Amino acid sequence: MSEAAQEAESPFDGEKAPASPRADLVTAAVLFALGIAIVQQAWNMPRFVEQSGTGLTAPGIVPGFYGAMLSLLAGVLGLRAMRRGGWAVRAARAKATDDGRRLLTAAVLGVMYAGVLVGRVPFWMASALFVFAFTTAFEWDQGPERRLRRVVEAALIGLGTGVAVTMVFEKLFLLRLP
Amino acid sequence: MTNPFDMLLGGFAHVLGGGAVWHALWAVLIGIVIGALPGLTATMGVALLTTLTFGMGPNVAMLVLVCVYVGAIYGGSRSAILLNIPGTPASAASTLDGFPLARQGLAGRAMGISTAGSWVGTLFGTVILALFAPSFGEFALQFGSYEMFWVAMFGIVIAGSLSGGDPLKGYIAGFLGLFVATIGQETNHAYARFAYGNGDLAGGLGLLPVLVGVFGVAEVLSAMRGPAVKAVSSKIDSVIPRIGDVTKYWKTVLRSGALGTFIGAMPGLGEDIAAWTSYAAAKRASAEREKFGRGSIEGLMAAETGESACVPGAIIPVLTLAVPGSAPAAVLMAAMMIHGLNPGPMLAITSPEFIYQIVAMLVVADMVKLFYGLILVRPLLWILLIPRARLMPVVFVLCTVGAFAITSRLFDIWVMLGAGLVGFILRELRFPMAPLVLGIVLGDLLDKNLLRGLVLSGGDVTPFFTRPISMGLCVLTLAAAAWSIPGVAGLLRRRRAA
Repeated sequence: MSEAAQEAESPFDGEKAPASPRADLVTAAVLFALGIAIVQQAWNMPRFVEQSGTGLTAPGIVPGFYGAMLSLLAGVLGLRAMRRGGWAVRAARAKATDDGRRLLTAAVLGVMYAGVLVGRVPFWMASALFVFAFTTAFEWDQGPERRLRRVVEAALIGLGTGVAVTMVFEKLFLLRLP
Repeated sequence: MTNPFDMLLGGFAHVLGGGAVWHALWAVLIGIVIGALPGLTATMGVALLTTLTFGMGPNVAMLVLVCVYVGAIYGGSRSAILLNIPGTPASAASTLDGFPLARQGLAGRAMGISTAGSWVGTLFGTVILALFAPSFGEFALQFGSYEMFWVAMFGIVIAGSLSGGDPLKGYIAGFLGLFVATIGQETNHAYARFAYGNGDLAGGLGLLPVLVGVFGVAEVLSAMRGPAVKAVSSKIDSVIPRIGDVTKYWKTVLRSGALGTFIGAMPGLGEDIAAWTSYAAAKRASAEREKFGRGSIEGLMAAETGESACVPGAIIPVLTLAVPGSAPAAVLMAAMMIHGLNPGPMLAITSPEFIYQIVAMLVVADMVKLFYGLILVRPLLWILLIPRARLMPVVFVLCTVGAFAITSRLFDIWVMLGAGLVGFILRELRFPMAPLVLGIVLGDLLDKNLLRGLVLSGGDVTPFFTRPISMGLCVLTLAAAAWSIPGVAGLLRRRRAA
């Protein structure tokens, strides 16, 4: 086994490191607000007391309870984050910019495909374009060497995926595609 | 045909007839490939393949999905051993000893141990399922709305407190899932909650689009965010499992099988916890403790047996209570509902033979897995070398098809995208996903049974606490919740020690 294997990184490794107290504090604030909003919306739902004879079967009871629990737990998370130094102001760290760029690329391409192209152009074409764009975008940084070949391969993979998925799902498994 | 043995034979006849073996062959293969590819998990595999099964009969569909589930959990160990990368989170424990064995030039032997452990584990769990699920199903018939409410509550609490490192985040994820399940029309008054006049929202968020988003889209984003994984090739020695490895560590195999099945049967815990628990128990009891983490055959055997025994274990509560034991089992349960099979206590009355058909499916899947374990080493190495930039867009296309196919609504694709984004953010913030999924799945069960119970009792809440089984489940739920409060478990341990 080569030494390169030791450098290989698990996609699950990141899950072991805990989130920062600052991130927890911001999350807690968002979740707390969400919980309160749920409680407020649940409170405004009709109660149907005349029909059921009891207010306990009102549609807002269950989501109201979940909203209250979310707020409560978010409050505990926030307090814990503050105790761990979530308030402390730190200099912004410019790290992992490559990670952010890759994530943004994947997310934008995904939304463009599933949210914009699908349903507007034939599915095989949308899929072929998406796979081609995705593969090309992520393989572009590998340098000019053999770039043309990689682009051609990406186009073939895209076309193959679009046609194969359409054939398998529509013709073989008789499913409707968008 | 009420004799269990006859029903078991009938189950095998049913599963083995009509070209079903062909389906088992391709489905296990797909499962192994999905499991072996880092970033693709068993949950995602079962969710994506559910789409393919829409046109199939319910039994063939279940066979395909069970095979994918069994195959994916096993497949994860390939990359764990060869690349030091768990193909699925369930195989993380296998890297500890699998990869050191591979570095010692024993990659083939490690895969043989993995195959043997996984095969015995699934078989062990399947025997437990066959022995206990029917009688537990009959016992569960006594459960009314009050008890089912507590079953759902217990599921959320146990998953929240045990499925991730941080119980607080586990509970939050669980309640978020429960909230998602409340969107749309409720059953008592047909009132559309959180719909704001939108017809699509009034119909509720589909389970499959949400699951495909949380486990598919979120995983694509996670995989693409990090730097490329360096793939390696390795010289493989013999992959034939040695009977001596199993017989020498028979105690470890039995212990891991029992632990894995038990953890599988607990709502929402899943294969990764089963593997880690089995590994830790084996290390504690081992005479060769110092070898653990340095290429211990016993350690790898324990992890593999535990995670694979968890698969049948996780199906036990699906069949008997309609409560999934793991995230892939949650998707399997959703697929059962889509195919008109009603998992839960009534299954023991409406179609008792189905439990034995599932047993037969698990055995067939296990046998096919063994077959592939012996022949499918070199081709899997090539598959592991597929660059993620070429694989992930294809996965994304399949996710989109999966989300759309069930109801043919473009709205479901948006649900998938939204769930994927939220799932990714929550994962980045270290919220465990199992309680979230369990919340979404159990939300409907909890909501309906709470409201139905209150209607039956005329608004009186006391039956939730005074009926014998209800009371027992309530105590269990509160105890599980208290256990996760910092300091309580330690206090109890100190008292016991004193």
